[in-house]
Amino acid sequence: MSVTSPAEREELNRLLIATGRSDEKAFAELYKRTSSKLFGVCLRMLRDRGEAEEVLQETYTTVWRRAGSFDAAKASAITWLVTLSRNKAIDRLRQHREELLDDPERMHETVDEQPTPAADAESSQEYRRLERCMDELEPQQRSSVREAFFSGATYNELATRSKVPLGTMKSWIRRSLMQLRTCLDQ
Amino acid sequence: MNTPDDDNNHSLRYAEFVLGVLDADMRAAVAHEIETTSEAATAVALWQRRLIPLSDSIAPVAPAPYVWARIQHALQLAAPARTPVATRRGLWNNLPLWHWLGLGASAVAVALLVTVMLPRLHPPAPAGGLDYMAATIQQDNGVTGWTATMDLHHARMVVVPATPQALAQGRAPELWLIPAGQKPISVGMIARDKPTTIALDPAMLARLGPTAALAVSVEPIGGSPTGQPTGPVIAKGAIGAAPDASSHATKVALISHPQAGRQSV
Repeated sequence: MSVTSPAEREELNRLLIATGRSDEKAFAELYKRTSSKLFGVCLRMLRDRGEAEEVLQETYTTVWRRAGSFDAAKASAITWLVTLSRNKAIDRLRQHREELLDDPERMHETVDEQPTPAADAESSQEYRRLERCMDELEPQQRSSVREAFFSGATYNELATRSKVPLGTMKSWIRRSLMQLRTCLDQ
Repeated sequence: MNTPDDDNNHSLRYAEFVLGVLDADMRAAVAHEIETTSEAATAVALWQRRLIPLSDSIAPVAPAPYVWARIQHALQLAAPARTPVATRRGLWNNLPLWHWLGLGASAVAVALLVTVMLPRLHPPAPAGGLDYMAATIQQDNGVTGWTATMDLHHARMVVVPATPQALAQGRAPELWLIPAGQKPISVGMIARDKPTTIALDPAMLARLGPTAALAVSVEPIGGSPTGQPTGPVIAKGAIGAAPDASSHATKVALISHPQAGRQSV
């Protein structure tokens, strides 16, 4: 399921706006079209199917209740949805932080740098642009930004995983963020 | 005194929030800013637009069909229906909870029962005075297939197989809740050979009661594609109160190993 074509994005905006008017059919269609993407995001961060299911459920119950506040002028529906699921997953990670730190398997999970499903002709313009800017980062900094985004780990956790001082990790990521901003806002 | 670096780092907190690297306290502080100032909300929205496309590289994974069922039922509950389980407690007093728990691999069952009773992060749902309910899910020949214990306070159900089921390749048991006179509601996939712990949402909790039943049908691994049972029903059983389970369980908890947990990916 691709949510990357402009027509599909428009359709998702329409469905989310309709959901905001308590249109149950639109909500069901929105779920059908976006739940796999959001579940992929949750699963990647939480690495536990049960937890990811709970967060997905929380996400869509919140979507139903808050869709009325969606403003298509500020963000696309898919960005709004992914952000919501990420926020819920990160909140969950922070709640469980101690348990996760105790789990050696999770600590040593690394983000693969494999070519990704979206890195083809189907990928969105925004994604290709971001990837071009990511490519300009130092390899180590690039991989820290990726790991941060995909795992939802804190600075502290990232520093521990990469075995570098906290200050080093912070400056890597902050420098990368500034560089990305400059590159993307051109 | 603020150096230019400090100012820069300060404004980067919106980016850090979107990237997800802030600890719980900093996160909460920025979230509060977003709620209260439009400047912060705009800055965060801008960073979302910049960074969220990274998620395009994550492969989509279809969630199990029962997730949608749970969402639907959670939302129908917007006007809270109080759970109907409070009455008729006495009717079920003959339900021999500890006897049937002994049917399964009892150590595992007890460990799971302890897991189910551990404190949960989420606030418990109101349960009208009943703490536990139970069901013996029997096959047509009267043999117990699974036993289910529902901890209403901690919103969990533990389903323990009494008799491991042989199923065709690519098939798995799915548990259904059937409120009297209504369509089955998917509770979740359960293991055929080991205990399964299932979190119960408020909608599901509200439907547990002495007029409801549990049933197990044979479905594709990912769950029924239709949201309703598609395969044969291999076991079923009525739900009842589990009398005095809590005091017994407290005792049992002392000798058990609470290490059984949720299913992992």
